[in-house]
Amino acid sequence: MKQIQMTQNPSFSLISTNKIIQMSDVSTSYDSRNFALEKINLSITRGTNYAIVGQSGSGKSTLLKLMNGMMIPSSGTIKIDYISPNMNNKKFKKMMHTIGYIPQSLGLVKNITVLDNILIGALPRLNKMQSFFKKFPEHEIIEARRIISLVGLTGKENRQAYMLSGGEKRRVAIARALMQKPTILLADEIVSELDHVTAKEIMNLIADAQKKMNLTAIMVHHDMKLALEYANRVAVIKEGHKILEIGVEGDTIVDFQTGDMTTEEIMGMYADDAKK
Amino acid sequence: MTPKNNILIGVIIGLIVITSYNIDANPLDFVDGFSNLGIILEEILVLENIIDNTKYVPSALLAMFETLQMAFIGTVVGVVIGMPFSMLAARNLNSKFVYAPIRTLLAIVRTFPSILWAILFVIVVGLGPFAGVLAIILYTIGFVTKLQFESIETIDSDPMDAVSSIGVSKFQLIRYVVIPEAASHLLGQMLYMFDYNVRQSAILGIVGAGGIGFFIIQYIKFFEYGKAAVYLFVVLIVVLGIEWISVKIRDKYIVKSQHGMEVTAK
Repeated sequence: MKQIQMTQNPSFSLISTNKIIQMSDVSTSYDSRNFALEKINLSITRGTNYAIVGQSGSGKSTLLKLMNGMMIPSSGTIKIDYISPNMNNKKFKKMMHTIGYIPQSLGLVKNITVLDNILIGALPRLNKMQSFFKKFPEHEIIEARRIISLVGLTGKENRQAYMLSGGEKRRVAIARALMQKPTILLADEIVSELDHVTAKEIMNLIADAQKKMNLTAIMVHHDMKLALEYANRVAVIKEGHKILEIGVEGDTIVDFQTGDMTTEEIMGMYADDAKK
Repeated sequence: MTPKNNILIGVIIGLIVITSYNIDANPLDFVDGFSNLGIILEEILVLENIIDNTKYVPSALLAMFETLQMAFIGTVVGVVIGMPFSMLAARNLNSKFVYAPIRTLLAIVRTFPSILWAILFVIVVGLGPFAGVLAIILYTIGFVTKLQFESIETIDSDPMDAVSSIGVSKFQLIRYVVIPEAASHLLGQMLYMFDYNVRQSAILGIVGAGGIGFFIIQYIKFFEYGKAAVYLFVVLIVVLGIEWISVKIRDKYIVKSQHGMEVTAK
């Protein structure tokens, strides 16, 4: 766990005009009575490695689904690169092509090969005839093979997805997202079921891709330690509310917003959870 | 036994008696007529007749080949035409305004058994296997689409959600996720439909819609049970053969892919 060094004058800016995701008073619910998320305010700078931490059922995954337009808020406003995420909005539909989303279940098509799963990321760039005849242009296949090599799956291109191990499946899901040439990468508890070594490998892989491609990576975790190790910023969600947002720079943690609990208390709570 | 159960059993027995009376079902008729079966079997199983009737095997095989062709074309065309309807009828792919009318249409098509479709097409296109093929196509569309859209509705929603989030078109979602995910079920249903249609095609000849059934009904009409038995025997052998091939294909392509969902290698 990183040392908490509270600072009054962070070296990085709190206000930036280069915001890729902006949420203002966003609430959403699965039924008419209970809010899944309530009055969430978030502002994510382009190129950030952002982590959302919270316990099961806190609303973390719902937050991700709001960011890729899979869910619509019941109130409040969301802007993804200054565009409202709405399936009927043509501009947003086009933007979806470059939002890589890796759900907790990974969402791989189990009966097709690794290569075919990865090529799905290139589908928005295909015309109707190419789609119908499954005729991917040569440069897309070369790019898919380059990404396969990047994620360490060389030699397994033609293996069916169901034959892969948990770690390999995650690499395929990452590769599919990278194949989209994304500007935003959303990943939902991608390493939660993995052993420590494999989890680190996967996180390093995403961190490398994030830096090389200048991605905005937004990752959901329930492990605060992991979030602090890789993220520049961490938001903590509890029962549908954002209770804390901290910035991480080296060993310094900056408290941006604290509610009823202090940063130390919240961090301590998650440290206790990790020990359990 | 509670009084309520006694009443229920009494009602069921009463209904059996009443309906048997209404349809003129008398068990004594069956006992009396049982001896007729002996006459038929005597004609079929006498060694001399068996040897004599073997000369009909080539023509029976030829008729069966026609039946198989009818079933094959009917199944393939029916499945190909039915597939888009299955996609439109699946609730997880369409809104109520799309799937509800399509399902109603398919339910109407499914209402008619293949023999009724065959009678209709014999009137339309005349006697022969073409009427049978058309009947099988219509019946396959009605029947296989129900199996297919129910399978499509049970596929894992996670890959669909993940790929939808990329912003792909509905066609791409079907082509690259729905069909591969449901492929093993669709293949199984196609095999089942072919198997079923072979048996159906053997019957359609009764109304003049071609195939081996036409010969069987003709021989029975003229009390030539031995010859009819040769044709029936060919049907039996071919149907068993298809069943065996189906099991092999299922084992190789369907069971394996479904069991293979478990992690097998790192």
